[in-house]
Amino acid sequence: MPLCSANCGSNAILKRPKTGDALCKECFFEAFENEVHFTITKARLFEPGKTVAIAASGGKDSTVLAYVLKLLNEKFKYNLKLVLLSIDEGITGYRDDSLDTVKKNRDDYEMPLKIMSYKDLYGWTMDEIVAEIGRKNNCTFCGVFRRQALDRGANLLKVDYLATGHNADDIAETVLMNILRGDLARLNRCTSIITDSGDGIPRVKPLKYTYEKEIVMYAYFRKLIYFSTECVFAPNAYRGHARVLLKDLEKIDPSVIMNIIQSGESLKVNETANMPTLTKCSRCNYVSSQTVCKACVLLEGLNKGLPRLGIGKSSKVKRILEENEKKNCDSTSCCRTNNCKKDIEGVEKCTDKLSSVNLIK
Amino acid sequence: MCSVGDENFETEEEKCMPAGGKITLANTKCNKCRENDPIVVLRSKDAYCEACFLAGATHKFKALLGKHKLIRPNDKVLIHHQIGHPSTALLHFLRCGLDLTTHKKLRFDVIFVYVEDNSQFTVDYRKEVLKKIENEIKLFKFVIKFVSFNDYIVNNNKLGDIVDNPDNLTLNEDDKININNIFVSKLNKTNKNDILHIKKRNLLIEIAKNLNCKFILTPEISSDIASQLLGEISLGRGSHVPIDTGFCDDRNQDVKILRPLRLFDMKELAFYNKLNSLDPISIKQTEINPYSSVQDLMKKFVNDLQVNYPATVTTIMKTGDKLAINDNGKQKCQLCMGPILNSNEELSSAESTSFSHWVSTQKPDNSKEKSRQEKYDSILKHYKVSENNNYCYSCKKIEGSIKS
Repeated sequence: MPLCSANCGSNAILKRPKTGDALCKECFFEAFENEVHFTITKARLFEPGKTVAIAASGGKDSTVLAYVLKLLNEKFKYNLKLVLLSIDEGITGYRDDSLDTVKKNRDDYEMPLKIMSYKDLYGWTMDEIVAEIGRKNNCTFCGVFRRQALDRGANLLKVDYLATGHNADDIAETVLMNILRGDLARLNRCTSIITDSGDGIPRVKPLKYTYEKEIVMYAYFRKLIYFSTECVFAPNAYRGHARVLLKDLEKIDPSVIMNIIQSGESLKVNETANMPTLTKCSRCNYVSSQTVCKACVLLEGLNKGLPRLGIGKSSKVKRILEENEKKNCDSTSCCRTNNCKKDIEGVEKCTDKLSSVNLIK
Repeated sequence: MCSVGDENFETEEEKCMPAGGKITLANTKCNKCRENDPIVVLRSKDAYCEACFLAGATHKFKALLGKHKLIRPNDKVLIHHQIGHPSTALLHFLRCGLDLTTHKKLRFDVIFVYVEDNSQFTVDYRKEVLKKIENEIKLFKFVIKFVSFNDYIVNNNKLGDIVDNPDNLTLNEDDKININNIFVSKLNKTNKNDILHIKKRNLLIEIAKNLNCKFILTPEISSDIASQLLGEISLGRGSHVPIDTGFCDDRNQDVKILRPLRLFDMKELAFYNKLNSLDPISIKQTEINPYSSVQDLMKKFVNDLQVNYPATVTTIMKTGDKLAINDNGKQKCQLCMGPILNSNEELSSAESTSFSHWVSTQKPDNSKEKSRQEKYDSILKHYKVSENNNYCYSCKKIEGSIKS
């Protein structure tokens, strides 16, 4: 075993993929935490006295994020109020178990926990959705709903920041994926450490420069409890071409991950390139690139017995939505705006119900 | 953790490119003239007859050169000749264009150069290859010069002799060993490919200057550009994508490198050669392990994906074409000659890596009296961002490995 690169005299237990240095356990803990602190302070992620919601799934990234943020908050006196925000998709055998892990985190780290459930927000659990539409395409529903649920949760908790557990591997993979998809707008913003989802609550990624491998090692050596089972509906989900490519690249040279992030940060989009503009959904008022956001389209499909609505081409969806609206106008003679209002009220009712439930402590 | 939906992808389908359909030539007519029977299918969907295909290929070549309006009449243009379908097709495109008597005639002077870099083979075989190249060029009534890449590297990046007769090139059996001894032995294959690529580009520019050429035409085709682009991204050269993979590389003030074949694919040029009864020279192929370097992996990745998703290469290229050169700094890298980005206040990947290396090599302070904050402050106090501003991000890494 080689000696620790920090010259502490101990034997190293790991070789850092990011730099190639070998470290012993104690020096690794210190380096790992100092680096996250460096990222937070250098990128000015948080202002003192504010509240941060940590998007917690019970997985390794969010567990390590919660642990490290708590530790740094105490040692470096960030003066932050930390809360956990979890999404209950309603997947038996997966989310119920992982939520137990989050609840354990809540007790261990003494942070309040808020759980937003699909059932309360949308009236459907993922189990019910899968029963309706089958195992194919169910991830579309889950992904769209989760993003909105996190936004709604952050709004409900009135937090100042939403911190997510995205690591360096995730960012590099997204850069590659956006190039393969030709998505300039996302390529341009996917490496930002702070992003705005349109509601004034910044999303921050304190683990942006942290390798997934080091997160796993940190969790392992710190003996953190996390949930590592894959979703029952989509084992191997999200293993696209970009992920396979990144894993192969990492085997050749692990520093490629930081290179890709560096490339993403230094890219400049041509001023003449056409960029999509973000607007607000005409129904629920959330940020969307379409007039009606995907969550509303999917929900309408579910509620009207057309679960496949919103899975196919967006032009087709538009046509069906317009036809539906026409029918509504004919039968109930209500105009479009009334219809929208009804939808908004419907959603607000659920969120009201949620806010009346006190934070689980 | 499941990360579906993280990046705002609205549907599963959106994450992927459309898969290619199958098309058969039976019962279809040429996509262009709608009259003749097609003989070739391009992009897995468009069928063309022979006349339309050939006219289309020639038009594509000239249109790209014409659109950019860079080359003026009587300019001298250096053609980087290589072995394979693209270079042979380029020979034919140029010969036809120059021989025209209509107003569409190409009005510049061309001179070919072959940079000899086959040190993996025996001297006898290398000589044989050179002879074949000389004959191929003669067939088209062009002039070609020969330059040894090994000489350039061994003589510390000094341009050696530019010879007319390939017999006058000095070839040695131990050229490969010499090159390795210069700088390559310390580098991994990825960095070695990268630096050889840069040196070859620098050499071509030197040759062009020597021969008074303002332009260099190189024979990269679309799949080369796509894999090159992904490779550049993976090496941290994101800000150089437009000059490294765009139509025009204008990092050198005097000599511009143009890529006139960047919109062609291999099938197109192979058919073009076949229909014009051209047979490119063949050369022994050395087997390459695709997992041995970033560049080799990218080639494999792009070619594999292209089989099932014919939009792969064009999507990657179009993404690249919408990027602009990021040159907020005035300084140029001493190795690749690309602009060096000014480091601004924002935290970057490069700085994060350098800090990680710094904290991994600092002797821990185990004193009980000091708080964590004090210990961290003393680490930060001695940490300095390296001030070496002669190289860009990627070249700095290569230089670092050579010196270590």
